Amino acid sequence: MNRILINYISGELIGGSEDVAINADDDLLGSGLVDSLGMMKLVLFIENEFQLKIPPEDMTIENFMTVECISNYLETRIQNNTATVK
Amino acid sequence: MKPETINKEKLLPLTQSQLLMWAGQKLYPDAPFYNMAHSFDIEGRINTDIFQKAFAELIVSCDALRTVFREENGLPGQYILAEVPFELPLMDFSGKDEQSIRQWLQERSEQIFDLDRPLFDSVLIKAGEERFIWFLNLHHLVTDATSSTILYEAMNKLYTSFLEGNEEDRAAEVFSFEDYIRFETGQEEKNTENIAYWKEKIKVLRSEPKLYGNNKTVKTSRTDRVSVSLGKERTEKLKTLIAQPEVRSWTQDLSLFTVFTTTLFAFLYRVSGQKTLAIGTPSHNRPTKKFKQTPGVFIELYPLIAGIEDNDSFLSLLQKIKTETNDYLRHAQPGCSSAETGRSFNVVLNYINASFSDFNGYPMNSEWIHPSHCDPMHHLRCHVQDMDASGIIELQFDLNKDVFNKDQIQAVPGHFLQLLDAFIADMETPLSKPVLLTDKEISSYFTEDIKTENKIKPLIERFEENAAAYPDRTALVFKGESITFEELNNRSNQLARYLKDQGADDGKTIAVYLRRSPDYIISLLAILKAGGNYVPIPSDYPLKRIDFILEESNASVLISHSELADKLNEREVPLLCLDKEQEKILKEGTENLKLEADPEALAYTIYTSGSTGKPKGVMISHKALDSYINWAAEYYHTGEAFNFPLFTSIGFDLTVTSTFLPLISGGKLLIYGEAVSGPDMSLLNVLEDNQVNSIKLTPSHLSLIAGTKFSDSGIRTMIVGGEDFKTSLAATIAEAFDNKIRIYNEYGPTEATVGCVVHNFDPEKDKEEASVPIGKAIPGMQALILDEYLQPVPQGVIGELYLGGSGLANGYANRPELSRERFIEHPQLPGERLYVTGDLARSDGKGNLHYLGRKDEQVKLGGIRIELAEIEANISELENIDESVVVMIDKKKGADEEVKNCTECGLPSNFPSVDFNEEGVCHLCTTFKGYEEKTKKYFKDPKELKEILTTSTENNPEYDCLTLLSGGKDSTYVLAKLMDMGLRVLAFTLDNGYISDQAKANIDRVVTQLGVDHIYGDTPAMNEIFVDSLHRHKNVCNGCFKTIYTLSTRIALEKKIPYIVTGLSRGQFFETRLTEELFWDEDVDIREIDNTILEARKIYHREEDAVCKLLDVSMFENDNVFEKVQFLDFYRYNDVSLEEMLRYLKEKISWVRPTDTGRSTNCLINQVGIYVHKKEMGYSNYAFPYSWDVRMGHKTREEALDEIDEPIEEKEVFRIMEEIGYKLPEESSSDSNKLIAYYTGDEKRSSSELRQELGKSLPGYMIPVHFKHMEALPLTPNGKIDRMALQDLNDAQLSMDTPYVAPQTEIEEIMAEIWAEVLKMDKVGIHDDFIALGGHSLAAIRVTARMNEAFEMDFALNTVFEYPTIAEFSKHIENTIMELL
Repeated sequence: MNRILINYISGELIGGSEDVAINADDDLLGSGLVDSLGMMKLVLFIENEFQLKIPPEDMTIENFMTVECISNYLETRIQNNTATVK
Repeated sequence: MKPETINKEKLLPLTQSQLLMWAGQKLYPDAPFYNMAHSFDIEGRINTDIFQKAFAELIVSCDALRTVFREENGLPGQYILAEVPFELPLMDFSGKDEQSIRQWLQERSEQIFDLDRPLFDSVLIKAGEERFIWFLNLHHLVTDATSSTILYEAMNKLYTSFLEGNEEDRAAEVFSFEDYIRFETGQEEKNTENIAYWKEKIKVLRSEPKLYGNNKTVKTSRTDRVSVSLGKERTEKLKTLIAQPEVRSWTQDLSLFTVFTTTLFAFLYRVSGQKTLAIGTPSHNRPTKKFKQTPGVFIELYPLIAGIEDNDSFLSLLQKIKTETNDYLRHAQPGCSSAETGRSFNVVLNYINASFSDFNGYPMNSEWIHPSHCDPMHHLRCHVQDMDASGIIELQFDLNKDVFNKDQIQAVPGHFLQLLDAFIADMETPLSKPVLLTDKEISSYFTEDIKTENKIKPLIERFEENAAAYPDRTALVFKGESITFEELNNRSNQLARYLKDQGADDGKTIAVYLRRSPDYIISLLAILKAGGNYVPIPSDYPLKRIDFILEESNASVLISHSELADKLNEREVPLLCLDKEQEKILKEGTENLKLEADPEALAYTIYTSGSTGKPKGVMISHKALDSYINWAAEYYHTGEAFNFPLFTSIGFDLTVTSTFLPLISGGKLLIYGEAVSGPDMSLLNVLEDNQVNSIKLTPSHLSLIAGTKFSDSGIRTMIVGGEDFKTSLAATIAEAFDNKIRIYNEYGPTEATVGCVVHNFDPEKDKEEASVPIGKAIPGMQALILDEYLQPVPQGVIGELYLGGSGLANGYANRPELSRERFIEHPQLPGERLYVTGDLARSDGKGNLHYLGRKDEQVKLGGIRIELAEIEANISELENIDESVVVMIDKKKGADEEVKNCTECGLPSNFPSVDFNEEGVCHLCTTFKGYEEKTKKYFKDPKELKEILTTSTENNPEYDCLTLLSGGKDSTYVLAKLMDMGLRVLAFTLDNGYISDQAKANIDRVVTQLGVDHIYGDTPAMNEIFVDSLHRHKNVCNGCFKTIYTLSTRIALEKKIPYIVTGLSRGQFFETRLTEELFWDEDVDIREIDNTILEARKIYHREEDAVCKLLDVSMFENDNVFEKVQFLDFYRYNDVSLEEMLRYLKEKISWVRPTDTGRSTNCLINQVGIYVHKKEMGYSNYAFPYSWDVRMGHKTREEALDEIDEPIEEKEVFRIMEEIGYKLPEESSSDSNKLIAYYTGDEKRSSSELRQELGKSLPGYMIPVHFKHMEALPLTPNGKIDRMALQDLNDAQLSMDTPYVAPQTEIEEIMAEIWAEVLKMDKVGIHDDFIALGGHSLAAIRVTARMNEAFEMDFALNTVFEYPTIAEFSKHIENTIMELL
């Protein structure tokens, strides 16, 4: 999951002229690596990729600060989803 | 720069953002509002050669700097030039002062760009040995804020590399804007959902907020920029605020953005009072890494919309903004903005997070130079930025000069910061709490002095002086008899002595229950002379109310006449019957009593309507009365003595002016007694007698007399008070008196003694406002506009009016609690009081106050204040009534009731006589289904049209046909198709003076492209035709259409053109001629239909309207004109779908949908018609034609409803109305307002009984007109009585009350039924004129067809015009039948 996210972020979102290598624990938000429009693009990408909807109340720093955070958040969401399906 | 040769193959379309800017620039070609100029002030020595070389290289690497814009076939396109030879100019300003450098930069920044040349300007200025300023100005079409930083950084890098000798080291990779253009074009399909989202989103917006109450039309693009730095401390605090978990968003920038947006919303709410608000904000719109490094214009503006509630705090609003911002980010996808989204806001927040670094290691200060102009749609722009990355945020406000006056421009940043500081201090602060005004503004607000220094001469003293000075002058005239000043003084002295004898003197309250008469005046003077105070009781008050007043006021004597007093109930107060005690009174001495009254002692108490069910007594002191009357004598003074009529109720404090003003100024009082029964017609007598030069009255009085000329009237001074005074009424009255009168609007509640705010009406200066301003506070009085926290509001902003000063009442009689509630401590002047008026007002730039209505339930009827609660309390006391609600309905508001729309065609439920079935489908739709099949016969094959037009063309001298080209899609399509047929076509357009620029451009482009001959027709009578059409049809289109037909027929005749081809849509056929009656026959004969329509056309052209009067219509007198020039409807032969048409127009013709008319029309005056129609009829004039478009399948229901619901710009409508000379019909305010009572109880009670019983306790004007029994009263979700719902319910009920003469015979009854149905009326009287009822040729078809069917007759179409009333026509029918027999 981290890989998919990192690929998307470094390939599509990050500004600046040099290629930046992203680590799963890099602070995406505080460092300004990704701006708010970029974050929303990421949300749309995730919603599309993992077939789920991210409600506004989930769009917090805690859930989106790093790639790791996002993965954790998504895993909980996916587990909950399957749980309800069962 | 020389124009370059263009590589045509490089033609590129404009992006959505560019299109909007291009259109904006086209509208204002001379305004540099899209200039984005920067000055980069570099502290260091620059190698100018290298700098120049670097700049030349910058041009090479950035296609944005090489882009030019050109119109090709009317469509804008952009081209990227291969090279742009440009040498960066150098200027030496060293030694010049800072001021001249700044001025140069400013002027240079305002230069207009030529769009078909490269859109940049740049200069390197040497300001000193170690200081260079790089000036770079680009048109917004090729740049935005991020782009500016990209260009700057690229230049920085180029310069540094070149300086180091790395010629090969070109700029950092700079990408091409061309890629984005292609990208955006490809996005369109993916974004349909987002485009729909924005379209839906802006629907909640009704009108744009009026900032600081400004409602002028914004014409200028000129703006002032005021900047304010937040400073280090405040910026720090702000950063602490955004770190709070409740505030924090994803990123610091996003957090700051939401805080500023929240504050700006709070600001808009506070300065406009509006709660549903929109702010436009740019999305940087650089979706990929590559685009983040591409120079060019990417930004697109989208609205953020907030629904504010009165109890919102900064934090609760911020939570809404967070969600809103989320949705914004989700949907702000490339290319989704449009002219509609762009028009949805008039305020922009621009949060800029771009910043510039040092230049070549030298410190650099940048400035974004404001070109002194902004798009006029944006009344306020707020930029938030820290471009030099200093860590201190700076705000810049660009403020339109038509919206904000000089003082306001300076005040805006201060007001914004007051809110921001309150937010920072405590995020839970309610939005309405922080004081907007700065301390400095507040201290200057309270400077008015309300202490009166000069001792005011008491009224009695002035009267006695006049009696001594002019003893023989006439003081009173009543029923032809005169009383001199001396006589009046003597008689009031006698009565005063007599009162003293009875013990009714110092401080005693004396009730006066008399008709308007000399005795009344004598009594008032006597009471005041004796040191007492009076309570006037009008002769028409019900006994219960009189009992209450007598008891409550604790009157020691009741002065009356036996004629009146005999009716009174038993009471304690001793009666002084003037007629019975006359002899005794006349024995008293006549000399003056020379008592000196205590200024604080009471002069009179007037009882006004009270919310508890009982009237309340307002106690006025001598001081208050004397200051008012002395002021009035001086202020209204003309050099001539005042001659006033006394004709208004003595229980109304407005009457105080007429009562005393003549007496203290040596003038004459002409007394008009009240009628013993029936309505009081005194005003008409006053005007007829023409004996007065001054008059005091209410707007309701004026409505009564509006429409009559008073050229001979001697009235020169008119003081109007008591209720809202409409400017239109004031202007009508001024005109009726040949503008020889001075009209004053005098405002003042009884509690502040008659009048304390005044304005001299000026027809010229006041015409912009709907109501005449109430003006300025009179000397000694203070009128303050405060918010709910008793803080002054900024100039222009609505607040509650508070009054202070010497004119305030002492309080309410026996109601200490109510007195404390309404007369509060002055927040600024210790020891003084303020009266809480409950009136809403605002002040304008000239210091005049404007009255804006009541804050609470209190209403005014005919200038008299009424507490609905008092009426309700009285009704509820009646037998068999549980609960009651009284509402005042304003007939004009009928249009507000909830309108449903037909579920199929969208026709609104307020369309006359519309009937809906259970599925919500209108009767037109259901009926149409019954004959739709038959109508197909009417339509023909395209081949037939071609055949008609192309046979025997050799006989036509010049043209084969004339076609009517409005510039819209339908007529453009027709023209193109006719040209396709190879015909020689003459295109005709009526220039009605209001075709939009873009539509005109469309027309010109299309005719040039098609190579067709084209003429514009016009007429100097156009405006008169519009006015006539508005009166006759409540729209402008009918007049315009008829003008087109008349002028084009004339041309066709002259040029011997046999056919005129129209572009009427199929919907329009059904709307204007194909009535259902034409298809009643089982076997429809199309030739017969054509004949009927032709007959109708003949009548149509011979109708006596403005066109007939003002244009040459002689050709229609002879029937053969209709053979020489025949009309062909293109769409009768062709059925073209909208998509097909638009595709064709897009591909083949350079037709662009106009964006400058604000709606889907070519014509700017159209909205006047819509406005008038909606106002007069309650629904849009497009509702009916569009319903046909929907039935035809040419529009969807949603499209039709969208177009009908488009908001109308009232200011523009009023401007055009004035331009063409149309006045909305004056509605008499006394007619339009009615009191309606609703009650619950076991059973319905008879209204006349209720009226009678209520008449015992309430005066006539407080008794409702209608009483309606309800099972239960409707409640709001909060459990309060839903007064709005009750107001809506009523309109239909009231429409039943229209008087009319009912049909008598069977024939009349049948006819009345037919007429009512066709003319869409509830009832038609037998003497009502067909034409006056709005009957025209179409209605004639329908009426005639139905009557012919009903009576088995064969009347010609024009019969109804020969016998235009039911009475006459029915007689004709009878005669015809008789003849047949």
